[in-house]
Amino acid sequence: MTDTAHPPILVVDDNPDNAHIIRDYLEARGYPITVAYNGDDAIKAFEEVKPSLVLLDVMMPGRDGWQVCREIKQHPTLGRSVRVVMVTALDDWVNKRQALQTGADDFVEKPFELTKLASAVERNLKLLGPAGDATSPSARTR
Amino acid sequence: MDYHQLLRDSLTRLPTVAATIDSIRKAVQDRGEIVILYFNFDRYSKVEEVYGWEKLDSVLETTGEAMRAFLTKSPLASSKLMVAFPNDDDFIFFHVPQDDTPAATDAEITELTAGLKEAVSTEIERVHGEDIAALFDIFVGRSLVIYNPKLRLERQLYRGIREAANASKSLEHREQAKKVSDLRETLRSRGLYIEYHPIVITDNQKVFGYEALARGTMRSMRSPEVMFEIAAQSDLIWDLSRLCRDRAIEGMSKLLKDGELLFMNVDPADFADPSFDVDTLKVKDPTRVVIEITERTAIKDYPKFRGRLKEFRDKGYRFAVDDAGSGYAGLGSIANLEPDFIKLDMSLINCIDQNFIKQNLVETMVRFANEHGAMVIAEGVERKEEYEMVKSLGVHLVQGFFVHKPSTSAVTYRPPVLPPAPVPEEAKS
Repeated sequence: MTDTAHPPILVVDDNPDNAHIIRDYLEARGYPITVAYNGDDAIKAFEEVKPSLVLLDVMMPGRDGWQVCREIKQHPTLGRSVRVVMVTALDDWVNKRQALQTGADDFVEKPFELTKLASAVERNLKLLGPAGDATSPSARTR
Repeated sequence: MDYHQLLRDSLTRLPTVAATIDSIRKAVQDRGEIVILYFNFDRYSKVEEVYGWEKLDSVLETTGEAMRAFLTKSPLASSKLMVAFPNDDDFIFFHVPQDDTPAATDAEITELTAGLKEAVSTEIERVHGEDIAALFDIFVGRSLVIYNPKLRLERQLYRGIREAANASKSLEHREQAKKVSDLRETLRSRGLYIEYHPIVITDNQKVFGYEALARGTMRSMRSPEVMFEIAAQSDLIWDLSRLCRDRAIEGMSKLLKDGELLFMNVDPADFADPSFDVDTLKVKDPTRVVIEITERTAIKDYPKFRGRLKEFRDKGYRFAVDDAGSGYAGLGSIANLEPDFIKLDMSLINCIDQNFIKQNLVETMVRFANEHGAMVIAEGVERKEEYEMVKSLGVHLVQGFFVHKPSTSAVTYRPPVLPPAPVPEEAKS
């Protein structure tokens, strides 16, 4: 069983250095971390680990972060109980608007500060119910 | 994705077509025939465009539930009945009659369709409100497949599905023609009334102004989106816009208190209408009128357009950019119009409490507005959490069901009563 205070997180980054910094930092804070180094592996790991949160790098060869985010969020069974935080330089309105379109919940600006990353992780996990379930759209509407 | 996930659609929890075909194979072979109904839901894509994909997901979920509830009670429930969800927003019913009963006739299907349409629409209205319920239509096509053992069953069923889908399409076209004639009748009889939708000051919820929303008195013309869609297809936009503007302004002096503003929707295309100018609008005090221009429609000739805006501005009219942030144009195009008000696109407000990117975007817009001396309006605020969030982000004005309690103001918001469509005072006079 997973610890409800520390639900599993998937970290996706094609740069191993980045991925490991994030992994070590979040592991030290008690989160079980899985790392994927490209988009294809990310989808596989996502279905296997069923994480509560995905930290997703945008610029990756092959399937990029946007595509992975879209697939994760549209996943028929797991898509609605996961929060996706994009790790990217989302600098302008148009980019952020695009991020919304893919279904992303949040973003952390790159180059990232670890404290900001941790607070993004926390505020998103907070929005998941105690069962680790994202509020379903029917519960969200009036 | 594992095998079992492929068998059911996750939102509607209905089986997919492939899964359905496999489970009715034997029943079709035994009975020798099957009725296929194709449910073509129209304008669901509009919901997604206006309210965002989360809303359409939720509407589809409600649709699936309402359909299941209706069918368990329908006369067809005793037969072998399967519903499948092929894609997007259409549904397929496979109906294998019981051994001793004949296949459903066209008349029975018509009755079933009417009942189902009513059931789905009532439930959508209950859960998601009248505006969304009024948007959509259902068209049902039927086909009968007589099983031929010499042919592959799947192919026969897929041909049946196609035939039923085509039948539903031709029905849609027939309905479309009827709507055009309803619109012409609306224009002829001036069968329009206005609902005034309060816009309140975020901090104290006091009425700041009202947006005029046109509703047709004919049931098919209830939704302004539908009316304008039909008008665009039949080249009647200017006529419809003129009638909407006249009606909105007629009611203004009667209903609005001193200081309250009237927000009126004007399509960018209306500015090309020679009869739309500062002299023909029967407005006593232009400083109390805000012209809303949607960001959704592309403005072709910017310098000319700005020239037209200036004529109005010089007389005292104010401007609002409607659906701001809906497109990918960014803030530059908003700045170009020098608006007094910026109305945020509803998809940015829906579930804003749960999405940090939306919060960031709205924050940016508020900062932008403050720098440019404009006010931001959050439209479509339906829940307390959404209200609290936009308030904390500094949004100046709010509009939506959440603040729409029966008002103590002289203008009482009239919730639509159905059926029959209400005939307002101004239509009678």
